[in-house]
Amino acid sequence: MVNNNSERTVTVRVQRFNPDVDKKPYLAEFSVHMTPDTTILDGLHQIKAEQDGSLTFRRSCRHAICGSCAMNVNGRNILVCKTPLRTQLDGQGQVTIRPLPYLPIIKDLVVDRTSFWEQYRRVKPWLVPPDDIPEKEFRVSPAEVAALNNAETCIMCGACYSACSVIGMTKQYIGPHALLKAFLRVIDPRDTIVAERLTDLAGGDGVYRCHTVFNCIDACPKNLDPTKAIEILRKLAQKRLAYEHTRRERQKSLIVK
Amino acid sequence: MYKTTGFISFALRRFTGVALVLYLFMHMWVIGSVNSGPEAFNARLNFFQLPIFKLLEVGLLAAVVYHAFDGIRLIIVHYFEVTEYRKSMFYAAFAVSAILTVAGGIPILLFMLEG
Repeated sequence: MVNNNSERTVTVRVQRFNPDVDKKPYLAEFSVHMTPDTTILDGLHQIKAEQDGSLTFRRSCRHAICGSCAMNVNGRNILVCKTPLRTQLDGQGQVTIRPLPYLPIIKDLVVDRTSFWEQYRRVKPWLVPPDDIPEKEFRVSPAEVAALNNAETCIMCGACYSACSVIGMTKQYIGPHALLKAFLRVIDPRDTIVAERLTDLAGGDGVYRCHTVFNCIDACPKNLDPTKAIEILRKLAQKRLAYEHTRRERQKSLIVK
Repeated sequence: MYKTTGFISFALRRFTGVALVLYLFMHMWVIGSVNSGPEAFNARLNFFQLPIFKLLEVGLLAAVVYHAFDGIRLIIVHYFEVTEYRKSMFYAAFAVSAILTVAGGIPILLFMLEG
């Protein structure tokens, strides 16, 4: 329910940090005019356009598909572009916006995602199809698509990665985002290197490093379930040779000539 | 710090785990003295009759039951992948641990008061 009372001025607290000037990050307060439709990103734009042009943040598409604008709002990682400001007011009627936790801050709300992308590359996120490519299509069954559990809809925003308590302790851990992508490739019946993938994933930085804290599920703006993917990968990693054999058998009927 | 029920359970799990390892050293220190005869054993055991250790014993009980039931919760997640029940299972593990701690703690404290 939206009523006219939600059109008012609210206080938005933004964590600022300029590495050339500041020693430590600090919170700055801004007043933002809020209508029922104002998103948090609209609020940040308002501040940047009308109050302080030096405010720095990442954003691109403004409709929750590019994954640029994940930030920590009132202690939770969310996409600010799809979240109305009025839904995030705390007890004092304020909103506190910080950069994604556990990652080095470049400036204000912009964090360094290098480790995020390095771990992503590490799991070989691309498909390795059979040499024998069909003329028309791979015939994958609806049940096999359902087993992917929507993992292909991940937008790589980093909300899960930066919510993960294990990432807070070590950047060696592959991380929920890359493990979810690895799950997508391992479950995909077209992929041919499952045993190799599962061997890597079962290593010291892989699926067994997860402490099952579930923060990745709570943080995901697309309602995906990296923890479940990690649990499934753990089981498959224990029987990877048998799983690869099943995969080879399956691929014989996958190609429609 | 990203604080959720998952993080609280994770922190409690680690804390109780370390506490239990430290307890094991004390336990071995007492039990190990049995090799030096009954007098030595009784002398060390007597040391732990102080009221503070009865209170710590309740803490030990709390650590054991919480660590156990949180572990059972995770085993259920590992085997059945029921991540959707993560919060209710945490509350259940915590509640069962609290009930068992109270139920076991009362006799320990009564024993302490009786001397």
